[in-house]
Amino acid sequence: MTRRWIRWLPAIAVPAVIAAGVLIVPLSANAAVDLPAKTPQQVLEMVATTSVDAFSGTVVQTADLGLPELPQIGQTAGSGSNAPGTDSGQTASIAAALEFLTGTHTARVFVDGPTKTRLQVMDSLAERDLVHNGSNVWLYDSAKNAATRVTLPQGDATVPNDGSTTIQTPAEMADRLLASVGPSTTVTVGDNTRVAGRPVYDLVLTPKSADTLVGSVSIGVDSETGLPLQVLVRARGQQSPAFRIAFSDVTLTAPSAGLFDFTPPAGATVTQQALPQSNSATGHATMPAAPPTVTGTGWDTVVSLPAGQGTSTMLDSPMLAQVTTSVSGGRLLSTSLLNVYLSQDGRVFAGAVPLSVLQSAATGR
Amino acid sequence: MLGALAAIPVLIAIAVRVTSGSSSGRGPAFLDQITQNGLFVALTAMVVSTPLFLPLTVGVVAGDTISGEASHGTLRYLLAAPAGRVRLLVVKFVGAAVFCLSAAGSVVLAGILIGAILFPVGPVTLLSGDTVGPVESIGRLALVASYVAVSLLGLSAIGLFISTLTDVPVGAMAATVVLAVTAQVLGALPQLDWLHPWLFTNYWLGFADLLRQPIAWDSFGSNAVLQLGYIVVFGALAYSRFTTKDVLS
Repeated sequence: MTRRWIRWLPAIAVPAVIAAGVLIVPLSANAAVDLPAKTPQQVLEMVATTSVDAFSGTVVQTADLGLPELPQIGQTAGSGSNAPGTDSGQTASIAAALEFLTGTHTARVFVDGPTKTRLQVMDSLAERDLVHNGSNVWLYDSAKNAATRVTLPQGDATVPNDGSTTIQTPAEMADRLLASVGPSTTVTVGDNTRVAGRPVYDLVLTPKSADTLVGSVSIGVDSETGLPLQVLVRARGQQSPAFRIAFSDVTLTAPSAGLFDFTPPAGATVTQQALPQSNSATGHATMPAAPPTVTGTGWDTVVSLPAGQGTSTMLDSPMLAQVTTSVSGGRLLSTSLLNVYLSQDGRVFAGAVPLSVLQSAATGR
Repeated sequence: MLGALAAIPVLIAIAVRVTSGSSSGRGPAFLDQITQNGLFVALTAMVVSTPLFLPLTVGVVAGDTISGEASHGTLRYLLAAPAGRVRLLVVKFVGAAVFCLSAAGSVVLAGILIGAILFPVGPVTLLSGDTVGPVESIGRLALVASYVAVSLLGLSAIGLFISTLTDVPVGAMAATVVLAVTAQVLGALPQLDWLHPWLFTNYWLGFADLLRQPIAWDSFGSNAVLQLGYIVVFGALAYSRFTTKDVLS
């Protein structure tokens, strides 16, 4: 009888060992990291003076904004047959924008200086690429087997984006956030952690305003180089981070130069896009010509768009009806970080603020 | 069964050849590229057979390992020889693993052959948009075959364990295949996010990462670790069950 019991030991011990390993490994990874103490100002300086301009790595973006998750199948089915300009094209572009606001996306990033970048958004059995080399920018979508070439004017380093590869590196996002740090924000240094196996300082930006949905933003700054490796946005009243973008692994050496030479494959549909027209022709075709109005400052900024032909047709889109809820005076697209209020007269108000602030902005004029 | 698996790429290739070209963006991945490059027959066949056909055959083989011998009444005689039960289990599992490799290999090999016969063969366009020569692409196809073979090892271990539970091989085969399908259904539900990394089917379609430039090895590694975990857990369960079992037939 005892021999029988001994023989059942491995069946119990092996799962137990694995379960213990699974529980202990994350604990040891989160164990306190010893770094020399720094003031928020010193960490900010590290970010500003970082000398890393060549690296490669894998970026994982997770969004938990309380939006319904759209099944991946719907996205690929929609991408097969979209003609720009038609109603289905518009729905597809809304879907593409919403896609990056839900679920988890993985991308590989290769950067060598300011003029050579390659971004690969890894989908299941497909990939979307953005290759920027000097004044040439290629966008490639393997699901459609279509390549788009954009030539940048000399000296212009801003890369156009059609929304299909809207993943930023944590560094780009951190720069954008830090640029907006002003008197409305408290900057502190939180507990040191590890991102992609590297010890990081945790720079925490907390809004002073009570009228914002953002609870705090924390930026993981590499303790050695000052390169931001993680951006984490917490929403008020939500336990899990609303938005997280972080390197899952990073190599601080220049990637192989061949990666930035892109030749469209044989058989691909190649389109050439001119720069100045492209932005207004494709990306913002639905937007009215009038510029958006910005009210408020800091975290409780409200951006409003005047009524235009595009916004009213958007109200009828079944896609939008699915994700918005009806509120007094219009419809509301509510996420844990951002509220978009579409008033019945076609105006659009957006901001990281509660609905009441948007509504008062709408009735204020 | 290997012949039935090899028939999948042949069927795909003939269907595409006869209808001459499909509209792009429809059907399984890589289908619309077959007419330009025969090597894509192997990839399309892999995408089609990974969710059902391969697990089906592996389930049949792994489910038959122990219970098949029991139902034939040969298990007693095998154990009468001084080989020991552990050794029998190991040999049976190695046999199932060899079948996984040859199953994945035969799909890819048949795909390459029929593709080369019916369509032109040339440089292959990777998912990243870069192109690689035919020699490297055949190397990558071999990698894809080994990836899929590794993916099926966890299922073989599960099948081996279920096979020790019963003397009815059909029951063990059916249970193994049902588990494979259930795991994939669970993997398709976004509400069960937390469970996904633990499903043995989680990385099954990850072989696409071998078709990127440069190759993303992460999924190969995570897949191998996950399958190893399943092998260890179900191997231990099978050991405990089989060494304490009263073999009557």
